Amino acid sequence: MHITFVKKILASGEPCQKCLDVELRLNKTGQMAQIDEVLIADERNANSPGMLLAAELNVPRAPFFVVDRDGVEKKVYTVYFKFAKEVFGQSGNKTEEAKEILNDNPDLDYI
Amino acid sequence: MKKQAVTETQSSIVSPTDIIKQALASHEQVQISFSGAEDVVLIDMACNLGENFEVFSLDTGRLHPETYRFIEEVRNHYGLDINVISPDGDATAELVKRKGLYSFYEDGHQECCGVRKIEPLRRHLETAQAWMTGQRQDQSPTRSNVPQVQVDTAFSNDSNQVIKYNPLSEWRSGDVWNYIREHNLPYNKLHDRGYQSIGCEPCTRPVGPNQHERAGRWWWEEATKKECGLHMINVTEQS
Repeated sequence: MHITFVKKILASGEPCQKCLDVELRLNKTGQMAQIDEVLIADERNANSPGMLLAAELNVPRAPFFVVDRDGVEKKVYTVYFKFAKEVFGQSGNKTEEAKEILNDNPDLDYI
Repeated sequence: MKKQAVTETQSSIVSPTDIIKQALASHEQVQISFSGAEDVVLIDMACNLGENFEVFSLDTGRLHPETYRFIEEVRNHYGLDINVISPDGDATAELVKRKGLYSFYEDGHQECCGVRKIEPLRRHLETAQAWMTGQRQDQSPTRSNVPQVQVDTAFSNDSNQVIKYNPLSEWRSGDVWNYIREHNLPYNKLHDRGYQSIGCEPCTRPVGPNQHERAGRWWWEEATKKECGLHMINVTEQS
């Protein structure tokens, strides 16, 4: 299994706050040790590795994770808690997970 | 289990009735989301087509009294059981204790909507095959690409793929209201008082003439704000 973590640099040059939050969680839980590759999606550079991977996999947002399970189709996660639950078996914080799902699917707030 | 005939976004536009027919024919049971607003149209159409559907409403605890009465009116009008889903009591109490009853005016509606809508919705759809919403592309910038049929990546998991149907996605508000009037459907009385989009009481207000529906929801927030998007346009502009 190969796990890639893509984090974003904003057009202003500042790091994305959400990416920093996710990175902090990865470090606190020790999951960062199991991340094989960290790529930067720099909004100022369409050819930055993270931007190229996002374009290749048609991912419209960051941060995101790509899990490649040895020959099986690559799976993209844009919700950290879903990634942590499905890949590391972490029992998540339901409130944080719900908030992240909504951030990731803004159309849902009209339900 | 019925074979899923419709599993992805369709290339051509299909009428709402045909989408509902396909949904009901493709799944043993379809969950219809009813918000207590003009999505009553979905219930009306489904009642004319089949019986293998269930209706649910998310009771956030903050709805208008008119909406609760309308949900009851629809239950009686169609002789339906409506599954009224409540948020987790502990999570709601914890949020209110920690941040009060109106924190969304300070730091956005996502946390409150997460607790009161998304988590109960996730729980309700955990084992569902398919669900249906009244989402339309003309409702909001965040819905401009809502397809008629999609694999729901928000609520699917490794053991269960959920299909989401949005039969009204290509309709505009006028189409929905023409249907309501032509078929003499019951409707939420808040619409008579200028409410176009109806959600929780603190986060919904009437809109004026020529104002977009979105102006009546979370009006204190920027409509198209998407913090997590990869803004390729910035790259184009600068290169």
